Amino acid sequence: MNDTIRACLEHVRKPARYTGGEYNAVYKDKSQVDLRFAFCFPDLYEIGMSHLGSKILYGLLNSMEGVWCERAYAPFLDMEEQMRKRGQPLYALESGDPVGEFDILGFTLQYEMNYTGVLNMLDLAGVPKRAADRKELKPLVIAGGPCVYNAEPMADFFDLITIGEGEEVMPELMNLYRACRDAGESKAEFLKKAAQIGGVYVPSLYEITYKEDGTVAAITPRDGAPAVVRKRVVKDLDKAYYPEKFVVPSTDIVFDRAMIELFRGCRRGCRFCQAGYTYRPIRARQPETLKKQAEALIANTGWDEVSLTSLSSSDYPHLETLCEGLVAKFEPMHVNLALPSMRADSFNLDLAQNIQKVRKSGLTFAPEAGTQRLRDVINKNLQEEDLLEACKLAFAAGYNGVKLYFMMGLPTETDEDLLGISKIVRNVQRTFREYAKNKARGLRINVGISIFVPKAQTPFQWLGQISAEEAARRKEVLMESLNIKGVTYSIHEYKTSFLEAVLARGDRRLSAVLERAWQLGCRLDGWEENFNFDAWMQAFSDTGVDPAFYANRELAPDEVMAWDHISSGVTKCYLYSELEQARKGIATPDCKAGCRNCGALSLTGGKCDV
Amino acid sequence: MFKLRFCFEKNGTSAYISHLDLMKALQRSFVRAGIPVKYSQGFNPHIEMSIVVPLSTGYETRCDLCDLDLVCDDMPENFVEDLNAVMPRGMKVLHAGAADRPVREIAYSAYEIVLPAGDALAMKALFDGPVTLEKRSKRGRRDVNLQDYIKELTFANEGDKTLCRCILAAGNDPLNPMYLTQALKNTGLVEEDATAKYIRTGILDENCEIFWKK
Repeated sequence: MNDTIRACLEHVRKPARYTGGEYNAVYKDKSQVDLRFAFCFPDLYEIGMSHLGSKILYGLLNSMEGVWCERAYAPFLDMEEQMRKRGQPLYALESGDPVGEFDILGFTLQYEMNYTGVLNMLDLAGVPKRAADRKELKPLVIAGGPCVYNAEPMADFFDLITIGEGEEVMPELMNLYRACRDAGESKAEFLKKAAQIGGVYVPSLYEITYKEDGTVAAITPRDGAPAVVRKRVVKDLDKAYYPEKFVVPSTDIVFDRAMIELFRGCRRGCRFCQAGYTYRPIRARQPETLKKQAEALIANTGWDEVSLTSLSSSDYPHLETLCEGLVAKFEPMHVNLALPSMRADSFNLDLAQNIQKVRKSGLTFAPEAGTQRLRDVINKNLQEEDLLEACKLAFAAGYNGVKLYFMMGLPTETDEDLLGISKIVRNVQRTFREYAKNKARGLRINVGISIFVPKAQTPFQWLGQISAEEAARRKEVLMESLNIKGVTYSIHEYKTSFLEAVLARGDRRLSAVLERAWQLGCRLDGWEENFNFDAWMQAFSDTGVDPAFYANRELAPDEVMAWDHISSGVTKCYLYSELEQARKGIATPDCKAGCRNCGALSLTGGKCDV
Repeated sequence: MFKLRFCFEKNGTSAYISHLDLMKALQRSFVRAGIPVKYSQGFNPHIEMSIVVPLSTGYETRCDLCDLDLVCDDMPENFVEDLNAVMPRGMKVLHAGAADRPVREIAYSAYEIVLPAGDALAMKALFDGPVTLEKRSKRGRRDVNLQDYIKELTFANEGDKTLCRCILAAGNDPLNPMYLTQALKNTGLVEEDATAKYIRTGILDENCEIFWKK
């Protein structure tokens, strides 16, 4: 850490976010390193350090001889101000060296509202933002993460984007980079070769043409790039790389705990959920593997909590065996288990109590919609009786708090559906009055309501988001009905969800908007206090782009989508058939009832651990 | 049970670990090192420990003290080595032993303040008379005379720095060394936007002797 960084730190809040030096941070001898990689997370340290994928790739890249992967996060406004004032470029936490001097900058795209964070970090690094303005192989700016299933709004900024899971493709890319660099090949030559690696998308090798009405006319690959880039998946998670050590932060982060990953994919098929489609097919880890990984992590980190992560943890077939084993091992060590992502219809009280022997946490369920009709439309196969039954068991066992998550603005939603939310809330209250072990303590209900954002590569990708006026009206309906004693609720800001919707189904013409928004001061847009909607609207108007075209428009069934050249394995045809079922209000049974041939099996040659 | 005390350094990047975060960082280090720590009883069991004299975020220390309850009856073998193998970068245990002296006997902290080069004589002269500043503490703000808190004070020019060595009140009404820098800035002897570095070099008793040694 140099004197300039030290001077910056004197004037900022939570300086430990900017120092590195945490336990298990990897330090290498620069003379033994020939490839320096900056893992860039375009949000604050406390968010980025909580992200499992980053930990996997950090460990994986650093396990490669000669590769040194370091971390960089978006600085908060006070730190950015200090850095700019003192001429301190964005630096990697471990070495303190400017990331602009690295071979590769790898960004993870977790959330659309982080996009301006990428631009700001590139600017702070002194690296030209547009790929076309970076003529040399070094630095290469790449991306990965869940947003890549449509990262077209960011296409102009990245040299390449990896689609899908990184465990296999990252080492392949590093090796290709090295070979091309050592052979003195140009950036263009490297990119052409990279596009031949499965799961590697080189945006500059695709020409997009548009029709007069603004829709996409055609996506044309060149130089041998594949017409469709299919995502990469790891076939056998038991054999896949998993770190035995995580960097242990020396300051508070959001998820300050060890994590094991039970399985990837989800068999439920909720039609609004992008992860539910893009992480298919299901691949599970064996409980023995998971137990070993958890034990190694706790021994190497000293954390007092292990989180069992997945998209729907109660669907893990060996959950009880695994939890029994982990509790037996960890309870005497004062290590707690956290089991997020439990479904109300497979809620297991014994399990919930068993894992909470060390410490007790609250209950969280996500019915998502207020009526059975609408839950059938979105394919959230959860019955209200199941939810109330889970609450009954929990209340009888002494729980007195529950969080319920819903969405508003879902396709076909009526006021009756909205009012259904308060009905569920009242039924939960009634269940508490009837069954609570200790009624005197009272029940706390927390209702969180977000606004539906249609996402690419889901059955709802064709649909538009509700308008601002309609969102405001529905919010009124909700607010009136949720004014219930003992209930607190929060409803997401429409403006943020609107922008998410613009970017989620956006195309390359939004690159100019993003750049303009950044120039107008937009960054850390995911943080409400920094979000400047007026500046965004100014950016749309300055660039002549109509945001409603992207957010609110329903796409024609045969329309070319801006992301048609990216495939999660699930076919467009399957997605459309699910949309038609939704329109008819017919739910699709989960994959356990039989394979629906969504297409994802082709990625693993027929393996799916439903 | 064994009441253990250890003396540790906090240098470089680890200087930015705040007091509360330091508790957590140390607790995790104890667990990694397999130290037989004692947990409190109750709903949220936690490791019984305390950092004897809190230090401001960003300050280095060569001599801070941590008290820790162990479930064993004696000092664990290799305590220092085992803990040093798993500490965050920049932190190091120097020595450890029984916590045999009560914390209330701490009276002073010694610090080094590294300032940009300036007029060492004028700096010293400033503190020869009363220096009134507003001091903030948990109990609120009040005007104090810094002289009442200063036991010893020297300034010396070394290379491109001016080094201040001082012994300041600790205990119930301690003085943070940044007030000395603030006084120097207020009189223009140090530039307003200058950066100072603070290092705690001793935790002392009433006689200005090292409070605790193994």
